[in-house]
Amino acid sequence: MTNVDTSTSMESPLHHRVAHTNAANAGVVMKEDKFRGQLNLRGNPQDAAFTSAVEKVLGVALPMAPSSSVRNGDTVVYWLCPNEWLLIVASGTQGQVEADLRSAMDGQHIAVTDISSGQTLVNLSGTGVAELMQKSTVYDCHDSNFPVGKVVQTTFAKTGTTMCKLEDGSYDLVIRRSFSDYFFLWLQDASDEYGLSVS
Amino acid sequence: MHHIYCPYCEEMREEEEYSYTGEAHIERPKDPAAISDEAWADYIFFRSNPRGIHHEMWYHAAGCRRYFNATRDTQSYKVHETYKMGEMPTITAATVAANQVAKGDAS
Ligand SMILES: [Zn+2]
Repeated sequence: MTNVDTSTSMESPLHHRVAHTNAANAGVVMKEDKFRGQLNLRGNPQDAAFTSAVEKVLGVALPMAPSSSVRNGDTVVYWLCPNEWLLIVASGTQGQVEADLRSAMDGQHIAVTDISSGQTLVNLSGTGVAELMQKSTVYDCHDSNFPVGKVVQTTFAKTGTTMCKLEDGSYDLVIRRSFSDYFFLWLQDASDEYGLSVS
Repeated sequence: MHHIYCPYCEEMREEEEYSYTGEAHIERPKDPAAISDEAWADYIFFRSNPRGIHHEMWYHAAGCRRYFNATRDTQSYKVHETYKMGEMPTITAATVAANQVAKGDAS
């Protein structure tokens, strides 16, 4: 079962942001990871039936520590609050993952919501990305405060983001579709001094 | 730059991520039909608005999106403590006053 019809052409939230004039030797590289499946999961972390059912479907245990995350191939799980997680799965598989979760947790007091169309995943990398983040968010993104794998929901300029630092030093940012244009215009302006490349 | 500790995220976060949502520990009357209009109006409309120690709810709007409680001094804006929903404050107007007397700087 899939809830994505691949016969129709889909446009990602940042589809029109394909090129930028200031791209030579760009210090900031933006790459939209298009159409990833995104599910919001809620349940009682103290309930073993809930945690084991989720682990069976995802292949990894839910991260329980504040601001933590786990990865298993294309599946990424972000801690959002003590009883809420964001599941990011391979494009087009969200319908199947949702159905599997529902059947594994049948009868339990839980919620699974497909929010794939409401937000998008963007990766920011490059030599200027650390300084760019300093300008863009109130959160201290230094490695001592924001190590690899930590997930933080905070502000990015005047919009919100859920961000995670990857092993290569780049940042994965989940942003809202309705703010994606604003996000890009801010990015364009804030990265002007480093150069911005859109890949 | 003003950092407030979120008891759910378990770290200090910038004030910009939060919003203030009013006085804490106001319990809804168990049987509204049985109480007087005055008691009901008191529950709905009237807040203590003290000068000094105040227990209030904050919302981690840009973060974990949970409500929690804070003990804040309305005069200095100092946040003395934050604690989860369902918990009670350890710092109150009474404990602050007792501390001042102990230090000998009661005014
Ligand atoms: Zn929080």
